[in-house]
Amino acid sequence: MAYEITLITSMAISVLFALSLNFITGFCGQISLGHAAFMGVGAYTTAAMMKAGVPFIATIPVAAVLAGCLGVLVGIASLRVRHDFLAITTMGVVFLFVGIVRQQDFLGGEIGISGIQASSFGRIGFMAFCLLLAAAFAVFSLVIKRSWMGFVFDSIADNEDVSRVLGIDVSKYKLIAFVVGTAAAGVAGSLYAQQFRFVGPDSFGFVESVSVLAMVIVGGIGSVWGVAVAAAGLSVMPLMIQFVDDYKILVYSALLFSMMRWAPDGLAGIVNRSVKRIRRRS
Amino acid sequence: MLYLELLLQGIVQGSIYALIALGLTLVYGLLRILHVAHAALFTLGAYLGVIVTNATGSLVLATAVSMVVTGVVGMAVYKLAYEPLLGKPPFIALIASIAMFIASEEIFRIIFGPYGLSYTNPPLQGYYEIFGGFYLKYGEMLVIGLSIVMLSILGWLSGNTRLGVSWRATVTDPSMARAFGINIQNVRYLNFFIGSALAAAAGVLVALLNNLVEPTMGSVASYKALAIIVLGGLGSIRGTLVAAMAIGIIESFGTIYLGHILGRDALAFAFLILVLMVRPQGLLGAK
Amino acid sequence: MTLKSKLLGAAISVGLMAAPAFAENVKIGFNVPLTGFAAADGESALNGAQLAVEQVNAAGGINGDMLELVVYDDQASPKEAVPIAQKLIEKDGVVAAVSGSYSGSTRAAAGIFQEAGVPYISAYAIHPDITRAGNYVFRTSFVGEVQGRAGAKLAGENLGLKRAVILTIKNDFGQSLAAGFKEAAAKFGVEVIGEYEYSIKDRQFGPIVSKIRSDNPDVIYATGYFFTAGPLVSQLRAAGITTTVIGQEGYDSQHYIEIAGPAAEGTIITTSLDRDSSAAETQDFIKTFEAKTGHKSDMVAASGHTAIKVLAAAMKVAGTTDKAAIRDAIAATNLVASTGTISFNALGEVQKSVQVQIVKDGNWHHFAVIDDAALLAPPTE
Repeated sequence: MAYEITLITSMAISVLFALSLNFITGFCGQISLGHAAFMGVGAYTTAAMMKAGVPFIATIPVAAVLAGCLGVLVGIASLRVRHDFLAITTMGVVFLFVGIVRQQDFLGGEIGISGIQASSFGRIGFMAFCLLLAAAFAVFSLVIKRSWMGFVFDSIADNEDVSRVLGIDVSKYKLIAFVVGTAAAGVAGSLYAQQFRFVGPDSFGFVESVSVLAMVIVGGIGSVWGVAVAAAGLSVMPLMIQFVDDYKILVYSALLFSMMRWAPDGLAGIVNRSVKRIRRRS
Repeated sequence: MLYLELLLQGIVQGSIYALIALGLTLVYGLLRILHVAHAALFTLGAYLGVIVTNATGSLVLATAVSMVVTGVVGMAVYKLAYEPLLGKPPFIALIASIAMFIASEEIFRIIFGPYGLSYTNPPLQGYYEIFGGFYLKYGEMLVIGLSIVMLSILGWLSGNTRLGVSWRATVTDPSMARAFGINIQNVRYLNFFIGSALAAAAGVLVALLNNLVEPTMGSVASYKALAIIVLGGLGSIRGTLVAAMAIGIIESFGTIYLGHILGRDALAFAFLILVLMVRPQGLLGAK
Repeated sequence: MTLKSKLLGAAISVGLMAAPAFAENVKIGFNVPLTGFAAADGESALNGAQLAVEQVNAAGGINGDMLELVVYDDQASPKEAVPIAQKLIEKDGVVAAVSGSYSGSTRAAAGIFQEAGVPYISAYAIHPDITRAGNYVFRTSFVGEVQGRAGAKLAGENLGLKRAVILTIKNDFGQSLAAGFKEAAAKFGVEVIGEYEYSIKDRQFGPIVSKIRSDNPDVIYATGYFFTAGPLVSQLRAAGITTTVIGQEGYDSQHYIEIAGPAAEGTIITTSLDRDSSAAETQDFIKTFEAKTGHKSDMVAASGHTAIKVLAAAMKVAGTTDKAAIRDAIAATNLVASTGTISFNALGEVQKSVQVQIVKDGNWHHFAVIDDAALLAPPTE
């Protein structure tokens, strides 16, 4: 069972992580190529605090707050730069994060932090906890999406300038999206540190940032269900396709490309279209 | 003297960045796509350079073959991958491009093996001592020289030929250009051909300096070149050249004097973020 | 090469299936990066491990039972390695496992194997915390600090070169090597006059080359791998700098010599594989590896080979598939393997002498041996 438990836990963490980016990119239209930095902040916070003897549960809020604080900074930057400039700025953030962490002795430098204690949950308890958090954030996302705030996000994603003319405080809502999304990524990082009990600077770089963005886009940008399914699937895909062996990453990238080429609106788009087709027939 | 040498090293690195980033700028200027897979063409160019040199013994022939073949592959990438995505939101093309880049690394590894390739008789190993302790390596001189030559030819073409004028017209205002009877499709093909050929040239030069081509050699180019074109102001050719040199020189001095504080990549991106906070449109971008 | 190794892999599994029906297969796990950035080392490690399995089986297996290697690609990522470790333990029911992977994934997997009480041997990952996962985890290669200290002795005592510049590759390998070198430098009269860092992705060292020329050291202690050191040394020599370069086991590959070409001549490294060894086991490994794969052996391959041989020998001694008994047998190992005579301290770290090799006429050759036990003492806790 331990293997399945590990897989499900990993999936839950990925779902939370991808939904946290979906909040920023999917809802509010702010593209980020550096989201792994916030997960890294959370993971390092939990790792360092647990090494200092703080119980796991107590580290989670701290991880969320610290990641959220960095999120505010990046959010403020997002008020200055837009679109592709923002994408590359956020990419810069993740390189800067990794570059800084590498040089910090109290974070283990290149060696990272290992030997993180297990939480008091036990394996199954921890899996349940991760599932619970991922589900809670999914529900929260759905509620926000259907609320007034969701409409505002939509309008900002659609056209920032028009929203401003309509009297929407664009800056405020962008910052909200960044704070919520990055704090949730920080929580996902906490869970990551507990799941793998090892954090190192290479685990939260550009590649991780791109793969989480891929999860959001494959799921169908903005769709909570689509992103959750895509995150769950893509996170365990390398393990599931071990049989293609040497061609594992090639298969993954070919699938990703095909998705963009033939179904750019993601899983959510595919489902919506099929549902419509079935309805039309009946 | 050391400062001068470091400056020179920065210019060498900057020239390579410029050759790679120029193709990205051309693509962005025309299609508004962040063409990450451009770095795959850089790698392809390097592989072709080494393979043809080893087979024929001629570096000149290898460079020519590499540039032409890579240029054609670049056109195919446009036709097969980007053209169908033109009307879609920009991040679709971005993710598709990243997927192509990842796939390319794996294809190089599967075909040519994980260990990479080297020149069997590495050409141009050696140096000149110009005056009291100032050294210039042959390979580095070739990098600077070839970059100047290629960029000058490109500049001349775009200013003085029909082709170049129609290209600039298309970048400035596509609908106006179409109204004047310019075939936009051809301009796009040309664009990808030139950009990819320049990346191939950069690949051959890098292979010469390192005597090693590997499946993952494009990974740094893939993101560093993006940073450079954004720093330069997305779509501005002059901005790209200035940004490439700036990053090259900052990295050169940074490696020696700031290396224990921040690594090379982090340093480059710290500079990028700093500039963008002051000038959100990049160094030479239009507001 | 990849295709070839795959075919070989397939041939082995077919061979195993065709093994006599009365013999049972004993499974041992092997996590190794076969795709992604670390694929080159992964392929070497796998080839070395597969050779060891073939040799063990050809010699009658483990008291009649055939060894079977269960291989998974972990992309050198901790995220992949943890579920792979679970899968090996639970789904494949391995009696023990070997890591042919890098530090991050090995460290993450070590915790899982320790928890499950399955013996786990790290073939060449150097992270100091790997063996600290617990008493079921062992390492058959040097930790970085030990090799760094050996490098300082090599520079100061064997070569008499006193003014050193250190080049540190920015990862756990480089950081721990540099720490070891600096720790022992003063003892051997070596003065560190400059230290520069570079990233594992760097291949162009122009600025560092210029700075080294102006520092004018007696010796360059450059940490790195064949794919960084090859370009570095060829750029140093192309700039006319002839200073002695001391490297480590990361250089230890024929590919280093292919990349650097004539510039590689005279490079001296600390490693664990002695090409001119008189030990039959080492000579046999070098010969059979070349026959099997068609290219020359390297440190990573020898390390994969050694780790499997150590495990197989311990399983033979234990005479059972009981994991605790195998663990005890590994802890009591005293075996001549392709990378030297292996024994472990209380932490599970290997104690063996450091081989010093030099590039001469396009091949690695014996230069010296460092066997100062006090200097090479691995950490004990």
